[in-house]
Amino acid sequence: MTFGRFISIPALVVQHALFWTFERATWQYDVMVIAILAFVWCTPPDWLGDPMAKGQGLIGWVLALLQ
Amino acid sequence: MTFTGTVGAMCMFPLRTIIWFCVHLNIHPNVLTLIGVIINGLAAWYLGVGQFFTAGCLMILANIFDFIDGKVAESTALASSFGGFWDSVMDRFSDMFLLIGLIYLYAERGRVDYALITSLTLMFSMMTSYTRARAESIIKKCKVGFMERPERIVLLMIGAFTNRMSAVLWVILVLSVVTVLDRIYYTWRELRADGRQVIP
Repeated sequence: MTFGRFISIPALVVQHALFWTFERATWQYDVMVIAILAFVWCTPPDWLGDPMAKGQGLIGWVLALLQ
Repeated sequence: MTFTGTVGAMCMFPLRTIIWFCVHLNIHPNVLTLIGVIINGLAAWYLGVGQFFTAGCLMILANIFDFIDGKVAESTALASSFGGFWDSVMDRFSDMFLLIGLIYLYAERGRVDYALITSLTLMFSMMTSYTRARAESIIKKCKVGFMERPERIVLLMIGAFTNRMSAVLWVILVLSVVTVLDRIYYTWRELRADGRQVIP
């Protein structure tokens, strides 16, 4: 694999994620759903200044554990 | 089968039973649509007072009505152009109810930042639907962009049930902006490919 091709793969992923043309129930859709759910559930609510959420999310929990 | 396809297939099983009941009770599909909007209005009230779990339960109920109306219309041969129009208009009311409930919640708690984020989410949610509707009056199809209504509603339910509404609002806002831009670009590209005038 050439360096140019190695660089172009992430660019292609970003391009397809931004200009979305995939149908529902495809593997690309699944990947997008998993990425969204990871953001929603793992991001500590404090980082977003969430006025309603309780708990610290997966990332917050791991950081607290490391400290 | 994909993960989301499996979840969809699992949800279809109880829904088929509900559709069967509605067809046999001879309920008009437009009435089902209206019931869905009323329940969403109630869900918005619970969002506004910060009772997310109750709001989430009501959203599920409302969207069952919203989902089955089209299927009942097909099964009873009552599908009509007006039914499609009515459904689209009521969907916009449902979306607005839910997000206005959240705007009220954040405003009441003095969180101007999240009231603004929710307002922008409302604006771009409406524009997502409008750009497609307007585009499809001049080109054949404009089904690009990720954040359509089913995604928005499922995300709001997830936010309500897991108490992560702020993260959900950010996701809906960012992806709605991207979807609107996708649709504008796609329409421009299709018109240009057709050899139709894009710039006067």
